[in-house]
Amino acid sequence: MKTFPLCIGTPDGLQFDGEAERIFCRSITGDLEILAGHCNFCTALGMGRAYVALPDGTRREAACIGGMLSVMNGNCRVLATTWEWVEDIDAQRAREAKERAEKAIATGGLTEQEYKIAEARLKRALVRLGVKE
Amino acid sequence: MAGNMKSVKLRIKSVQSTMQITKAMELVASSKLRRAKEYADACRPYFHELYETLEEIADGNTDFTSVYAKKADSPRYCYVVLAGDRGLAGGYNSNLFKALEAEAAGKDYVVLPLGKKAAEYFRRREIPILTEKYAQIADVSVSDCFEMAKMLCKKFRNREFGHIELCYTRFLSMLSQQTDVISMLPLTDLDRKSPEEKKQIRNLILYEPGAEEVFDAIVPEYLAGLIYGGVCESRVSELAARRTAMEAATNNAEEMIENLNLYYNRARQASITQEITEIVGGAEGI
Repeated sequence: MKTFPLCIGTPDGLQFDGEAERIFCRSITGDLEILAGHCNFCTALGMGRAYVALPDGTRREAACIGGMLSVMNGNCRVLATTWEWVEDIDAQRAREAKERAEKAIATGGLTEQEYKIAEARLKRALVRLGVKE
Repeated sequence: MAGNMKSVKLRIKSVQSTMQITKAMELVASSKLRRAKEYADACRPYFHELYETLEEIADGNTDFTSVYAKKADSPRYCYVVLAGDRGLAGGYNSNLFKALEAEAAGKDYVVLPLGKKAAEYFRRREIPILTEKYAQIADVSVSDCFEMAKMLCKKFRNREFGHIELCYTRFLSMLSQQTDVISMLPLTDLDRKSPEEKKQIRNLILYEPGAEEVFDAIVPEYLAGLIYGGVCESRVSELAARRTAMEAATNNAEEMIENLNLYYNRARQASITQEITEIVGGAEGI
């Protein structure tokens, strides 16, 4: 299958830089997959499972949260706020974060800002757990 | 002569204690530098890719429905200025302010200072400041950057200013850092192509679901990413500048002490010689 140059970056470092066959991730409107030869394209990323199919046939799963995806003249760039490969996800930590956030929301009495933060934490934890399991 | 000797001795002591301070600061800076450099090295590719992608988008963009992509209708500028928290870093802070002043000359502008020195500087000049919440650049985290970006976006949408620029110090090497002012918003400011070139663009960009939604979603993240990248670069630049400055200061102090010691010894020898001559002269007189 044809490949294309893919670069995945986050503020914590470059997560991937090389050739890929496919990249699958969730945008703000739904799941999408980019193949080689895509036209110039730009979208914002949502939260969800993602994977990169490599030329050697392996598939690397990851959790992707926020950011942007762009294809410019055949080069695909994913600039995510968080991009964690499945092997890097700490399930224990995510579970704890999920419980904490659930508890905070259940007990109530939060300001709008705090509620939003707790909700975002819960969402992130759920995405991580969903990818890991 | 004796009084002179005493003052030289005191001077040596004072230079010595200054040297101790500069040496300690140099050591602190170099140990912090290692960590800061790791952060900056990790963040740099993201920072470059992000800016390059947005530049490419700006070059190819023909869809101006989003506020962020349109030409600015307010001539006011907002500068996000990343300076240090402390002085004694050579020309680090003053170079940055000089670069900013050259850039902002004749413009109507507000600032968002990061770093204590920046906040102090603009307060003194009575330039409108958006907030001083982030005056400690050493404590700024990614989530702070997101907060800042959200605030900037909100104000940008309310047309409080029409341009957002980032003023930071780029880390080139341990010995050289370069101040830099880059445009962040609106995207037309990032455009490197002339209108004639722009007309020939056939390679349109597909925005999904639409340009406005996409820009609304990515611009706050883009701003946050750039600010965070700038913060990492500025922090490592500050430490490198401080280390170099303190190294030079320590070397100078060493040299001064050497000279003063020489002078002191000469004066001591001279006074001894004088005493001997006096004694010999006195003995002959008897």
